[in-house]
Amino acid sequence: MVAAVLLWLACGVCGVTNAAEFRPPLTTAEGFAVPQPGRRFEFPRDHGAHPEFKLEWWYVTGHLFAADERRFGFQATFFRRAGPGGSAGTNTVDTGPGGNSPWFRSDEVHLAHIAVLDVRTGKFVFQERLNRRGWDADVTTNGLHAWNGNWSLRMTNAASGAMELIGSVRAEAAFRLALTPEKPLVVFGENGVSRKGASPTAASHYLTFTRLKTVGTLRLGAETFAVHGRSWMDHEISSSQLDPGQAGWDWACLQLHDGRDLMAYRMRRKDGGPDPFSTLAWVDVGGRVTQVGAAQFSWQTVGTARHPRSGVSYPNRVKLTASDPAGGPDAVVELQLEPLAPHQELDGGLSGIPYWEGACRVLDAQRREIGAAFLELTGYAGALGGRF
Amino acid sequence: MSTTATASNRALAGLLLRRFTLRHWRSAPGQSALLVLILALGIAVFFSIRLANRAAVASFQNFTDLITRESDWIITAPAGLLRETILPELRERLGEQPVSIIPVLDTTASPPRRADFEEIGSRPTFQILGLDLVAVQNLASARSPDRSWFGQASGVDSFWRLLRSPRAVFVNAALAAREGLTVGSKLPLVINERVVELEVAGIIPQPPGDPAAPVTLLIMDLAALQPLAGKLGRLDRIEFLVEPGPDDAARRAHLREQLAAWGDGRWFVSSPADRRENAALMTRAFRMNLTILSLIALLVGVYLIFQALDGAVVRRREEIAILRSLGVEERAIQRAWLVEAALVGVVGGLLGALLGWAGAQFSVRFVGRTVNALYYATSVQSAHLDRAELAAALALAVAGSLVAGWVPARDAARTPPAQVLVRHAVAAPGRRVFRNGWLGLALLAAGALLAALPPWRFPGGRLPLAGYAAALCWIFGGGIVAAILLRPSARLWQPLGARWVSVKLAASQLVNPSGRHRLAVAGLLCAVAMTAGMATLVASFEATMQGWIERTFQADLYISSYGAQSASTQNRIAPATWRAVTNHPGVAGFNGVQACEILLNGQRTILASGNLDFLQRHTRMAWRQAPLSDDIFRPERNAALALASEAFTERFQLRRGDVVTVPTPAGPQRLTIAGVFSDYGNERGTLVVERGRWTEWFGDEYLSSVILVLRPGFAPESVRAELLGRHPGLNIFTNGHIRGEVLRVFRQTFAITYALELIGVVVAVLGLALTLVSVLLDRRNELTTLRALGLDWHEMARATAWEGSLVALCGVGGGLVVSVALGWLLIFVINQQTFGWTLSFRLPWAQLGALAALVVGAAAGVSYAVGWWGAALPADREE
Repeated sequence: MVAAVLLWLACGVCGVTNAAEFRPPLTTAEGFAVPQPGRRFEFPRDHGAHPEFKLEWWYVTGHLFAADERRFGFQATFFRRAGPGGSAGTNTVDTGPGGNSPWFRSDEVHLAHIAVLDVRTGKFVFQERLNRRGWDADVTTNGLHAWNGNWSLRMTNAASGAMELIGSVRAEAAFRLALTPEKPLVVFGENGVSRKGASPTAASHYLTFTRLKTVGTLRLGAETFAVHGRSWMDHEISSSQLDPGQAGWDWACLQLHDGRDLMAYRMRRKDGGPDPFSTLAWVDVGGRVTQVGAAQFSWQTVGTARHPRSGVSYPNRVKLTASDPAGGPDAVVELQLEPLAPHQELDGGLSGIPYWEGACRVLDAQRREIGAAFLELTGYAGALGGRF
Repeated sequence: MSTTATASNRALAGLLLRRFTLRHWRSAPGQSALLVLILALGIAVFFSIRLANRAAVASFQNFTDLITRESDWIITAPAGLLRETILPELRERLGEQPVSIIPVLDTTASPPRRADFEEIGSRPTFQILGLDLVAVQNLASARSPDRSWFGQASGVDSFWRLLRSPRAVFVNAALAAREGLTVGSKLPLVINERVVELEVAGIIPQPPGDPAAPVTLLIMDLAALQPLAGKLGRLDRIEFLVEPGPDDAARRAHLREQLAAWGDGRWFVSSPADRRENAALMTRAFRMNLTILSLIALLVGVYLIFQALDGAVVRRREEIAILRSLGVEERAIQRAWLVEAALVGVVGGLLGALLGWAGAQFSVRFVGRTVNALYYATSVQSAHLDRAELAAALALAVAGSLVAGWVPARDAARTPPAQVLVRHAVAAPGRRVFRNGWLGLALLAAGALLAALPPWRFPGGRLPLAGYAAALCWIFGGGIVAAILLRPSARLWQPLGARWVSVKLAASQLVNPSGRHRLAVAGLLCAVAMTAGMATLVASFEATMQGWIERTFQADLYISSYGAQSASTQNRIAPATWRAVTNHPGVAGFNGVQACEILLNGQRTILASGNLDFLQRHTRMAWRQAPLSDDIFRPERNAALALASEAFTERFQLRRGDVVTVPTPAGPQRLTIAGVFSDYGNERGTLVVERGRWTEWFGDEYLSSVILVLRPGFAPESVRAELLGRHPGLNIFTNGHIRGEVLRVFRQTFAITYALELIGVVVAVLGLALTLVSVLLDRRNELTTLRALGLDWHEMARATAWEGSLVALCGVGGGLVVSVALGWLLIFVINQQTFGWTLSFRLPWAQLGALAALVVGAAAGVSYAVGWWGAALPADREE
């Protein structure tokens, strides 16, 4: 299967470790770059692609609202992955002996996902697309312009970080959205490096716009809506692979009505044990990050939904309990994630990796709605660790 | 009419059928079988040609249909190839529209050489399709759960190894089974002029239920095929798939408009249906010609059914009279006869369809080969039974026999009851038509007028309809005139009767010939005239070709890619190779030829280039209109000039001095036609320009062939061997060999027309036998008398043999005369209007003599056999 070679979703994890001792090698055994502490990012250049790394993605999720209380969720992800030897360390590209054409390269392949949820009907549509690097899929290196077929994500204003996102799901749904950052860019991890495993090469640069004002149009079938709402965008750069002992991960991003945002990540080990690289990070109204380690938060499953098509059960009702930096040293907050529709699975027809990526509402202990979230659940259709 | 009356009518019809029609069939099964067989043969020929034609046209496909669903639109360059740089442009222009853009490259390849000399066209041609193997997986229908492009090889990084392999190829499952290919097997092929060892990466994925890919289809990654095919940075076509969903029809239509507008002359837009139609159109004249030829046997067959039914009416006259006197209505009798005719039609039609279907399995190869040689690549190997064609053939059979049965049925119905009393009624009054000399002459004159009319032009081609009508007029008119001449020619034989009683008997029959005799003459004339006319055309063509070959093929060596086998193969010679070849010390001069299809005024034609000064120095061109100055041969002066083939000028109705604007990748170019030359290579026409101009326009130095003239002292054979040793992917012909090959390919193209004509002759001779059978049945009382007078069986058989031979002589004589006219018509009207080739007239005396001897001899033999049978007829046999 294509899947075997395209295990993409090595989600960048932001491990909290003692950064002072962290001295990773410059390259992986394959020759790809390894994220180095203290890297100085230069924008807009660093919003673009980094071909010296093996894996990279731009991951946008968001909630949209239209008139008549209509509510939607959307996801747009652009991945790039270099082949063995790839373009490691340099920008001179090994296109392989057959790849004489710059338009049909064989150094990288690009995968993309688009999904749209209509909350009122619970209808969830998605499409997956895989292309080689070339005329129909690529990401620029001097700034952000990613495209895959007729889907694209382009930074339209380098100063403000505003972007335009165009996506569609076959001919069933289409959107064109303007994204404007409401908070400065966040760099997760220690000293610019987010570690995700014990291996020193298993790390990423993890850059995020946690709150993007979103305005645009969304077409579903024959209906077109003027929509507004809020999005989250991750840009993660790495060359690393998942630890063979890890089965998968659960990830969530929360945007609270009080202006704070939260990113949480739970690494699941095959043996069921806790993984020290799990983490939770608060982003306050001004964009300052407070990270807590695996010991300082809990991720509890409170409900499971079995997907009718794949038969996979996803624990998509979650209770997060964490210390609240805004409420003093002993303040603890309880956050419940409740899916806006039970079945938001992407079947992985091309990548071979089914996963659940869905819009949720956030409830407090009194079940009051206090924000919106996206929840990602991977590795439930078979362990991912060791496959890549 | 009341219900009872209808019921009784039905009962009567059934009774008539059983007691009247079928009884006769049972009593003379041989005769009925012969009749059915004649019709069946006619239908079989028609049906087999139709099926073969259909198969040849159906085999034209885009191949990508097999991988994706059928594309909505396809863009191709008006000349040459598309540049791949238009891909990002197209995506950008399309913006967010959900449209898949599928770039496609294709080329042809052949298995490597096995013997030193091989016939052109004797090796299989593989079609290699280059697709972006990663991108095609996004198309839903390309996904097959059990087999994917990348999943067939195993091992770490197999995906990347396949994606980066310059030689990975996917093959059809049937080819893999036949050649024992598995993943990793080597598949050596000649692509362009190089022997390339491809590596099997797997089987072409095929979703269950989809049609199987042709055995000759190979698929490679587009990026790997580009350098192999010598098409770096180029694409043959780009296909577009509009995402299905709301408003998809409107979005498709909109996309076509957008593509057309954005192209601005750089490309043109077509649909897969347009392309199939274009392929069908391209071969339309060729297929129509074959269909018309295939109808000859049927035409002769219809003649004979008419004759047989007419004879039966006469023989059963007494019975009819009895039925009439019993009160059976005229209409019921007429209906009974028509039912009989229809029965012959149905049985003959079904048998013919069966024979035709079997025959199609053979004829399809001939048709396919010709289409391959002249038009486009086909992979047709078998013809499928097509319901519409079957219905058409059966309808034709029934309609033909009903038409043939109409007049006899009317005569039968009108038989007055009193006839029964007349013991010696005129046995066969004969059709008045065949005694009307004026009608015959009028038809001949009408034919002459029709022959002067221009062809019918339709978009994409032209068809000599008036020419065919003229041929029909001459065949009918000639038949009538020859039938009338039967009597005077019989008189000529009468003096011989003094010495041989058999001649006397035969001549006495023919001095007062029956309608059946006349019909037999006309039928034989039709078959012989067509066959001899065709032979005249072929002989004239061959003579012309030989003269053309003598003049045109003057050089020493003719070099092409080993894969180049016909008009449809794309294999060419890379610049490094042809430079090495032409730098051989023995080379005194060379002509580097390139050609590609272009679209001119919506019609496909060929733009070629060569070293024009070479033409003047080393060949004697066969001019239709010679250039008025030497400018065309001087590279420094011929930039705006071109030479046109006769077919080109005929097709586009141009002549020397006219200006033609041709599309090129460098934009449209205005060219003045400096001269018109004879060319029998293709009917689509060729425009030739100086090679330097071509290179400038197309940015492409590959050559389709190289023609060498050697210095004195260098033997062509040894230079050939030396070059082949260095470049095994080349095909090199010496002068003598290429001349032979050209003639062989030419003859092969005409093989099927010969076969069709010969079947017509067989039908005509069978018809003569049937005629004589009827005649003898009519005369059985006379035969009894003759036996009583002491004539032995041999003499009686001989008398019939003479009778048959005289009829045959008349038919053959008339046929040969008409054939000269038909030959003229075929050469100067039909061929000229269909292909645009001027030929010189030559009569193939030996062939015509042999044909005449064969027909008369066969007629004599068949008649003798019938006579022998007739001599044994009992006198009182009821019929």
